[in-house]
Amino acid sequence: MPDYNLNTEKPTISFKQVHKWYGKLHVLKNINEEIYSGEVVVVIGPSGSGKSTMLRCINGLENIQKGQLIVDGQEINHPKTDITKVRAEIGMVFQHFHLYPHMTVLENIMLAPLKVRRTPKNEAEKVASELLEKVGIPEKARSYPAQLSGGQQQRVAIARGLAMHPKIMLFDEPTSALDPEMIKEVLDVMKALAREGMTMIVVTHEMGFAREVADRVLFMDGGSIIERGTPEHFFTNPVEERTKTFLRQIL
Amino acid sequence: MNYNFNWMVLWDYRELLIQGLIITLKLSITSIILSTVIGIILGILRLAKNLAVRLVASAYVEFFLNTPLIIQLFFWYFALPMIFPEPVQMWLWEHNYEFISAVIGLTIYTSTFIAEAVRAGIQSIDKGQQEAALASGLSDFQTMWYVILPQAIRVVIPPICNQFLNLTKNSSLAMTIAVPELTHQAQAIEALTFRGFEAFTAATLIYIALTITISLLMSRIERWSAKGQQIVTA
Repeated sequence: MPDYNLNTEKPTISFKQVHKWYGKLHVLKNINEEIYSGEVVVVIGPSGSGKSTMLRCINGLENIQKGQLIVDGQEINHPKTDITKVRAEIGMVFQHFHLYPHMTVLENIMLAPLKVRRTPKNEAEKVASELLEKVGIPEKARSYPAQLSGGQQQRVAIARGLAMHPKIMLFDEPTSALDPEMIKEVLDVMKALAREGMTMIVVTHEMGFAREVADRVLFMDGGSIIERGTPEHFFTNPVEERTKTFLRQIL
Repeated sequence: MNYNFNWMVLWDYRELLIQGLIITLKLSITSIILSTVIGIILGILRLAKNLAVRLVASAYVEFFLNTPLIIQLFFWYFALPMIFPEPVQMWLWEHNYEFISAVIGLTIYTSTFIAEAVRAGIQSIDKGQQEAALASGLSDFQTMWYVILPQAIRVVIPPICNQFLNLTKNSSLAMTIAVPELTHQAQAIEALTFRGFEAFTAATLIYIALTITISLLMSRIERWSAKGQQIVTA
C-alpha cells in the first residue's frame, strides 16, 4: 500500500453498515469498508455475491436502503446530495462497454466534458485525443464503436471514463465480455492507470491483475465482505474457508 | 358497358383539384409536424419517473387511441364550440374553424400512435446506454436528449413514417366537417358533372402520389440517420 494512505486523511469512499435489498432479497449485508485516495482495490467473489451491486452503489446507479455511504465527502443516499455532481467525479467502465453507437469515438469521449463541464470544444477534443493516445488507439478517433474490436471498444470506454478527470474509477468486470486475446490490452491500460496513482475499484475475475496491481483485495460472498487483505495474504494464506474454496475453484 | 369516359372534366375542373390538393397538403403537413412534436413529448412522459405525469400521459394516449377519428373530428368541430360564449363561436366560424378543428383532430389522434412508437423505441434502447450516460455525470434530461433519443428516433422512423401516411390518408375525413380538401373537391366535381369515376380516380392517384413521396422522403431520412450504425445491421 502506498505510504500516503497510511496517514489520518479521510477516506475517499466510506461504507458504514450499508444494506441493500431488492424487494425481499438482501443483496448487501452490513458492508463496512474504507477506500483511500490512490488505492487500487480489487473485489472478487462468485457471481451473485453482490460485488457489482456494491460498486454501482458508489455512483448511485443503485440505491442503498440502510447505512451510510460517503463518496468524495458527499453522502450518496442523502436526499439533498446532487448525485450528478458526485458522478461527474467518478469514471465508470462496464462489462459491455456501453459506448454510444451513434457517436464517433471522439464524440463518445467528449460528450460529458462538453455537456457537464461546459468545456470548450477545442479543449475537449484535445483532451479526448490525448486520452486515445494513452489507451493506444489514436487512429480510431473518427471511427464508430461498431467498427472497433471488443478490446478497442473497452479502451475507448476507459478513455471516456477518464475524460472528466475523475477522482475515482470504477471497473465492473471490464474484461469479462472480451475474447481472451483482447484481455491483455485492456488490463495493460488499467495497470498503467494504477501506476499513475488513480483510485480504482475493480470488480474482476482476473486474479493475475489482482495479484500484480491491487493494494488490497476484498472477497465477497452472499452480500457480505468475507475477507480482506493484501494480494499476498489472499493468494498465499487466506483465512476464511469460503475464500479458500473460491480460490481453489478459479485458480 | 355504357359509361362513356370523359377525362376532360378533370382538366375543366383542375382548379378545384389543385385547391383541394393544396388544402390537403397544408392540413397534412401542419398535423404531421404538430403530432410528431406532441407524440415525442408524450412518449417520453409515458416513461416519466413521476407517477402522476405517467398516468396523465397514459390516459391521454389510451383515450384518443381508442376512439374513432371521425368522432373526434365531430367533437372538435361540432361539440367543442358549444361550451364557448356566442361571440367566441362567431369568431371561430369566421376564422376557418373547420380547418383548425381538422388539425386538432388529426394531430391528437396521430400523436397517440407516435407516442406509442416513441415509447417502444425508447424502451428498446439497452439500459446500459442510460447507465453509462448517467454515470458520466449527465442529467436525466441530457441523457435522454443526447444519448437515448437519437438512438430511439432511428428505431421509430419506420413506424412513424407509417403514421404520416395514415395521417395523410385520414385527412380525407376532414371533408365531413366541410374542409375543402382533395376528397371534398373530388366529391364537388362529381356533384357538378356526375363524373364520379373520373373525379375519384383523379383523387386516388393524387393520394398515391402523395404517400409515395412521403415514403421516399422518409427512407432518405432513415438512411441518413443510420450513419455509423450501418455496420451493425449489415
